[in-house]
Amino acid sequence: MKVKEMSQPSSGNRKVIWTIGGGKGGSGKSFITVNMGICLSQLGAKVILVDADLGGANLHTFLGVSPASLSLSDFIQKRVSHLQEVLIPTAVPNLQLLSGAQDLLNAADAKSVQKRKLLRSIQHLESDYILVDLGAGNALNVLDFFLMSDGGILVVTPEPTSIENAYRFLKSAFYRRIRSAVSSSEAKALIDGAMDRKNELGIENPSDLIEAMTRVGDEEARKVSQEVEGFQPNLILNQVRTKKDIEVGFSIRSACKQYFGIHLHYLGYVVYDQDVSNSIRKRRPLILENPRSKAAQCIAEIASKMANRHKMAFRLQGEEQ
Amino acid sequence: MKRIEEQTYYEILEVAPDATSREIQQAYERAKETYQNDSVAVYSLFSEKEMEKIQTVIEEAHRVLMDETSRRNYDQTHPSSLSLKWPRSEKIPETPESPMEKKTYLPFSEISVDLGEGPYRGKMLKQIREKMGVDLKTISMETRISLKILEWIEEENVGQLPAQVYLKGFLKGYAQCLGLDPKKVIEDYLNSIGPAKKK
Repeated sequence: MKVKEMSQPSSGNRKVIWTIGGGKGGSGKSFITVNMGICLSQLGAKVILVDADLGGANLHTFLGVSPASLSLSDFIQKRVSHLQEVLIPTAVPNLQLLSGAQDLLNAADAKSVQKRKLLRSIQHLESDYILVDLGAGNALNVLDFFLMSDGGILVVTPEPTSIENAYRFLKSAFYRRIRSAVSSSEAKALIDGAMDRKNELGIENPSDLIEAMTRVGDEEARKVSQEVEGFQPNLILNQVRTKKDIEVGFSIRSACKQYFGIHLHYLGYVVYDQDVSNSIRKRRPLILENPRSKAAQCIAEIASKMANRHKMAFRLQGEEQ
Repeated sequence: MKRIEEQTYYEILEVAPDATSREIQQAYERAKETYQNDSVAVYSLFSEKEMEKIQTVIEEAHRVLMDETSRRNYDQTHPSSLSLKWPRSEKIPETPESPMEKKTYLPFSEISVDLGEGPYRGKMLKQIREKMGVDLKTISMETRISLKILEWIEEENVGQLPAQVYLKGFLKGYAQCLGLDPKKVIEDYLNSIGPAKKK
């Protein structure tokens, strides 16, 4: 499939970082990361895929490359001093891979200082798009990676288990984000309390928390509101089989608005497609192996939309300045 | 962040204040589906009490907005709900009709976005916008042009379009938002709709 260039590669200061998470394992995060990355590189943009699934890295497998001799482990263990030194080229033009830690059993528990250094270094990588694939679960490391970009992407399947986990993940990310914005110990304690649904503070949802925060102080309440406003995650529904499944995405968006007060962008869906499984078994990215398959078309469409949305956002920003 | 009881009926149903009855009905059906007790999208997020409250308000919003007199009275007593200048933090959610999200994807053969050279008729502008994955409400918010006027522009609804002097301004704003050459868009568009508005 030839996708006409509609997204000019952004200049250095217009780097876009997308973090891809969603709580549940097996929802298709890595699959979507790899294939979206290839789509973007086919549009002429420079793309880096970062395998930040520190506990179970396998982005290289989706790309069909052998475990790299250089990986994040080398950076975390200080065997190399710059992150770009562990970037490996791929067979796809414009696409580089930052392979996940293979041999570091405790990589998932990387110390806070290491994590901060890693986050900073990823943000400084030279590229148009940086797609960061995250591991499952709600570990603080995963949340901090997810929050690295304002608009992380949740990959969810339209099943109760996946949606439940996604909400759990979103709640954890939401509270972590606003917790890092407030400064007083009283405000932090309030947020910690709110995270326990059976708390004795009477805080049952984010609205209650914001109301309680105004009692701590206007400044802290303002910061919280600002963080809520700025938190605009994205949703991709994967393995969609029916029209009703597609509708679930709109319901999730509505529920997020009502519960968290956040605007969740429903980017689109990827249909259930046997070709996906076949491509993974062959260790060939679907978008290269079978670009005309339905799932590949869905991913290409989402990647195009995302690229265009950012292009438009940059242009509007430019006009405002 | 507004609690459910602080939201206007339009916000509850996620429709614009100038939504048609059809749009309101569709939004209501979707909201009802979303907040039914066994909906996979909400059961793990809201308590039973919260669900009851939301369901009640959705019914009330539907009842009031679908009745012309009740809606007029509501609009008069809640003038702020009619403000088209929605705060950025409370962007109007894309409606079910939004090509950005709801409609099935464009035919895959048309996946590329070719901004083309025109002629920029209403249909062409719509196609470009849809291929860019941007819904009309977003354009409306960014350009401050009313949704209705943008719809009329895309439909080439000559009978409803404003006088040329205003139309030119709207076309310029819309074209700039899509990254098109405003001069060319205005020229093509005015040519396409014929002499009716060429005054």
